[in-house]
Amino acid sequence: MTPVAPTTAAATPEGHVVEHHREGALTLLTLGVDHRSAPTAVREALAFDGSKCEHGLCRLKEAFPGIEFVILSTCNRVEVYAAADQAGVALEVAPLAAFLAEFHGVPVETVAGHLVAHHDEAVVGHLFRVVSSLESLVLGEGQILGQVRNAYKVAVARQGVGPIFHTVFREAIRVGKRVREETGMDRGKLSIASVAVDVAREVFDQFDDKTVLVIGAGKMAELTLQHLKSLRPGRIIVTNRNAAKAEEAAATWGALAIPFERLGQALIEADVVVSTTSAEAPIVTLDTYTRVQRSRRNRLALILDIAVPRDFDEAIGDLEQVMLYNVDDLKAQADRNYQGRRKGIDPAQVIIEHETAACLTALRHQRNAGTLLRQLGDYADSARLREQDALFAKLSHLDDSERQAIAHTLQRLQNQFLHHPRAALRSAAATPDHDHPHSLLTAVRHLFGLVDPRPNPNSGQPGE
Amino acid sequence: MVDRLTVLCFAGTYALALIGDLARVVARGSARWYVTVVLTALGWIIHTVYLANLAAQGLAIPVTGLRNSLLVLAWILVAIDLYLVVRSIRRLAVGLFVLPLVLIVLALAAWSPKGGWSQSNAWLTFWGTVHGLLLLLGAVSTCVAFLAGLMYLWQADRLKSKRLPQPGFALPSLEQSERWNRGAITLAFPLLTAGMFIGLALIVATRQVGGATLAWTDPKVVSTVLMWILFAGLLHARYRPEWRGKRVMLLTALAFAFLAFAMVGVGLVLPTAHGAPSSPNANGRAV
Repeated sequence: MTPVAPTTAAATPEGHVVEHHREGALTLLTLGVDHRSAPTAVREALAFDGSKCEHGLCRLKEAFPGIEFVILSTCNRVEVYAAADQAGVALEVAPLAAFLAEFHGVPVETVAGHLVAHHDEAVVGHLFRVVSSLESLVLGEGQILGQVRNAYKVAVARQGVGPIFHTVFREAIRVGKRVREETGMDRGKLSIASVAVDVAREVFDQFDDKTVLVIGAGKMAELTLQHLKSLRPGRIIVTNRNAAKAEEAAATWGALAIPFERLGQALIEADVVVSTTSAEAPIVTLDTYTRVQRSRRNRLALILDIAVPRDFDEAIGDLEQVMLYNVDDLKAQADRNYQGRRKGIDPAQVIIEHETAACLTALRHQRNAGTLLRQLGDYADSARLREQDALFAKLSHLDDSERQAIAHTLQRLQNQFLHHPRAALRSAAATPDHDHPHSLLTAVRHLFGLVDPRPNPNSGQPGE
Repeated sequence: MVDRLTVLCFAGTYALALIGDLARVVARGSARWYVTVVLTALGWIIHTVYLANLAAQGLAIPVTGLRNSLLVLAWILVAIDLYLVVRSIRRLAVGLFVLPLVLIVLALAAWSPKGGWSQSNAWLTFWGTVHGLLLLLGAVSTCVAFLAGLMYLWQADRLKSKRLPQPGFALPSLEQSERWNRGAITLAFPLLTAGMFIGLALIVATRQVGGATLAWTDPKVVSTVLMWILFAGLLHARYRPEWRGKRVMLLTALAFAFLAFAMVGVGLVLPTAHGAPSSPNANGRAV
């Protein structure tokens, strides 16, 4: 990272990156790939799996000292977040892109065309969108919040995080939760199999005493069963016209295979039925299932008929204590859930815009407070040293130990005088007053006659 | 300070909690849930202090008389609501069912005359209290069975018609509602049976000591016996396979309505000597 002029603009040969640094502006950068910008192979090549993440953070710290780093690496996204807290230090894309390529042992040309960068204020907005799942492959998915939290924790453990990213990532996690709570964007499942699990949970609350019967052994049955297994049913029975297939599926899922001829008995034992055969006509008629229910003593039953055409007579759904869901019902529910999530996008955008602005204000305030603390220290040091030198010039007879004692006293006096202003500034930096963000800072500047390093917004120069 | 507490103090707090619960349609955050729970808990604490004060004044469990019994009934129902809401992993909308019933019970209590029966005879007082307590606990169980039945019917109707769950309106699973309903009916029947037989025994006993007592044809006696027969039928139906599900829930609602009539309604529409003061020359009082 090299110091840059107050206002510069540059672009990579790929045209992805626009650099825009301004004096006093935040210096943040995100560089990475996601499911939109890069194919799976590139994402996999750049992934920071397992210990690679910690190792990568160590290497980044060595290569770019004084810079804060967080690495976010998921199935669909690999991003390096960088922040510089030093005035005049800029973050550039090219060295970071070269680092990524070198670290993963891939030619930089292979990845350069897929890398996407965000700069300064845009980084905060981007992270808030990511954590809120607006940038995810599956809108409203919940994993990304945990992944961002984990990325932050790992970076904290590796001491890669400083004051900027402490603020930004804590805010991001809070915003992610807020967006989900207020927009309901994470509500409802989107796949047929996971909707089926939700329905099962609304019918039953205990599954360890339940029997799941799977009729057919196709891909859809496997998918649904994968989800249903998360409910830990007491027993899983598999049946199929092809006994070998049933045995194979049963071995895979830890289930019990039974001959197709015993379907009637299996229906009596089953509380949840998943049917996915390719039969051309229903394999279970209303009469058959009425008898089954009588034998089951009319216990609650959930039938997930995800076969096309249907395996269960539609009229079975009218039976008391029987909940019959076919593939259209489940798909309609998944579609409605998706529409529900999409309705949350606009409110989420509003929340993110508002939160981004607030976070940026807090960051600037934090930075201004830090600058002011340094200015205050420098001002007090210079005044103390000036008076100390004048005193020692007048009292030339003082020996070294006496001079040292006086110097210590003056230092202590300075510290005591500045203790409360410093504490108040730190407190104001941690909890900014959004309505009057600079009131205390301005007051301290006036009181101590310090110069505001920020550009005058009326001067026509680029400001924050 | 405690003496100045009125039914309105905690009924009002429960009403606010109900508004908080209804706000789940528009407010989905955790804050709404906490506000609702805190308001319900606050109302329940005031309610507890009120009942404790009532018990301290009467030096007995406040189940003597309709008003006190209804107050205790509401108090137990709110305790059950709080337990379910706080304990359940999913944020169930149980309060939407319990709190309206609690407010109705409290309104009836506020409307009922103050004071209860008393007995000069110590053992009649004791058994009278046991009679009241058992019937009260039976009423609590019936209310739980009724509310579980309502939740079951609501949830079953939604699942049958394939409607999406309303945001923030999670109900117990069908299995759970059915389990609560079955458990509550199984508990209600012996409690009501014991309460009713003690009441009948008290009629016989007060006759023997020459006190004024209820006639066998008193509407209260007749409605209670009919209610018991209905509950016996409900318990029987509960364990009949063909009566599982919707039908047994509707029968539970009928049993609840009959209990409400036998407990509160009969005294309003028909002349009854139950709980009324006895004649001056009597040794005992009507039970």
